[in-house]
Amino acid sequence: MMTARNRYGILAPPLAMFALLVLLTLIGPMAWPHNAYDMDFAAVLAPPSWDHPMGTDANGRDVLARFLDGGRLSLLVGVVVMVGGLVPGALLGILAARLGGVVDAFVMRMSDSIAAFPPILLAMAVAIGLGGGLATAVLGVILSTLPFFARLMRSETRRILAMPFIEAARAMGASPALIVMRHVLPHSASTMLVQSAAVFGYGIATLAGLGFVGLGAPIPTAEWGVMITDGMPYALTGQWWIAVFPGLGILLAVSAANMLADRLSGLLRGDGEEVRP
Amino acid sequence: MIRTVLARLGLSLTAALGAALFAFLTLRVGPGDPARLVLGAFASDEAVAALRAEMGLDKPYVVQFVHYIADFVTGDWGKSYAMGEPVRSLLADRFPATIELGLCAFVIAVAMALLCGMVGSYARRDWITRLLRTLASFSIGVPQFWFGLILLMVGFECLGLFPGPVGRLGFGVPPPPSVTGLYTVDALLAGDLATFADACRHLLLPAVTLGLLPFGFLLRLFWANLDDVANEPFVLVGRSRGMTRWQVFRRYVVPNAIVPTLTASGLVLGQMLAGSVLVERVFNWPGAGALVTQGILQQDYSVVQTFILLSAVVYIVANLCVDVLVAAIDPRIARKDTAG
Repeated sequence: MMTARNRYGILAPPLAMFALLVLLTLIGPMAWPHNAYDMDFAAVLAPPSWDHPMGTDANGRDVLARFLDGGRLSLLVGVVVMVGGLVPGALLGILAARLGGVVDAFVMRMSDSIAAFPPILLAMAVAIGLGGGLATAVLGVILSTLPFFARLMRSETRRILAMPFIEAARAMGASPALIVMRHVLPHSASTMLVQSAAVFGYGIATLAGLGFVGLGAPIPTAEWGVMITDGMPYALTGQWWIAVFPGLGILLAVSAANMLADRLSGLLRGDGEEVRP
Repeated sequence: MIRTVLARLGLSLTAALGAALFAFLTLRVGPGDPARLVLGAFASDEAVAALRAEMGLDKPYVVQFVHYIADFVTGDWGKSYAMGEPVRSLLADRFPATIELGLCAFVIAVAMALLCGMVGSYARRDWITRLLRTLASFSIGVPQFWFGLILLMVGFECLGLFPGPVGRLGFGVPPPPSVTGLYTVDALLAGDLATFADACRHLLLPAVTLGLLPFGFLLRLFWANLDDVANEPFVLVGRSRGMTRWQVFRRYVVPNAIVPTLTASGLVLGQMLAGSVLVERVFNWPGAGALVTQGILQQDYSVVQTFILLSAVVYIVANLCVDVLVAAIDPRIARKDTAG
């Protein structure tokens, strides 16, 4: 028989990956002697060595230092996208489910309209419309996650509000706000957590894609997507290290998030269910 | 049935209208003046005002939005100011390349997902399951454009098996006489096998790259569907009547799991359109997606914005078709829709 501790043990690998990334990117830049923006023209396009474990790029910048800086930015963006999408999205979902009628129809049609755009293209439209740069790109990515959260929260709220104990709470005189706070939120937390983990990875991947086409972080910024663009002209002339390492970083962060989401949902529902945006 | 279709059509129309409104808002709400963006920072205020009037920017937003929709529907998508050509002809020139790439990627993704899903669900060996699960996680976690670059490094630079990022055909190979615009099909129609082989060689790496994400998505879905169906009572009944495990799998499990998977492949279209923007840039594939990245880099946004709204419309139409098809195939869905 499985003990509770064993069951949750499957969360250890993705959590360990996250811990590694967080430690590396928080402490790494302080401990590592090279800076992400210092150019050393004596060591341009140097292959990986003890001094530069990930080599240097075309401007003689240390790729490891840029990798660590970029990782910090990516993790931060992941968190911002996750929270920025979860809070308003969940609020819209609760309002739609609780009020019904016109509000419900409005929220659902709005999220249909947003979800009709392929997410990264929606983020592009927003970034271009608002003038470009990292902040507008992040705003675009957040906007593209709203439908995932709003729809899920709406169906969760409707499911929970239909349960008998809600009727009991109402009979005891609980106000709608109290019911939402005390019953709906706690009972939907696990589902929203799974979705949030998936969105965390999605945010990192999408921002890197935007950086790759020149709509995310501006050029000298150490950001994983931008770094891959930087390395692209050198990838086929032998200097593989510039583009390969940031891509590995994205792969690691996004896979950790997806794995966490999958395993959490497996634990919470008894088996794996599709949660990807 | 007809009621379901009509209701579904209404939803699609509102979604399309909302998407258009959204695209319009991103154009107008931003801090930049579109006329100023076209003419540059050094143009005189009179010139900007004249262009504003020409573009209709001095009219109320509601009028502008109606014009915007009318222009979009009639195919008047504006002009690319960097290239001096109408957006419609630019996109029309580029779409065959994107369609060829997308179709090939789609076929690879669906075929591989069906194959891997069946193997994964049927196999009882742990290492096969684990290998395929890792493959599925990898394909949805890997940044597509980076994966394309890795494929190029290995397939072109190290092994020399595939051509580099030079587009649809090798240097000096003339394109086949245009019938469909798809080089592989055209070459076959012209009976030119050498060109066909060359086009295939150029197509394979970008198509694998573009198909990777849809493959992972469909594989996970199909696998989950297979496992669900395998737990149904009729599977047990089949086994108890003496059918072998393979017979039950082939006759009962796969057909039941395949329908929901194929309907989800409509959803994959959005991923492919977005993916083409990133993947075409890596392979210098001369399609619509590459035109979009070029437009972004040159701050020539009319092409980009048209492509974005167009992809939303294509996505809505594709989903509408899938839903109607599914309702036509499975009467339970139509009944559920009208019931509530």
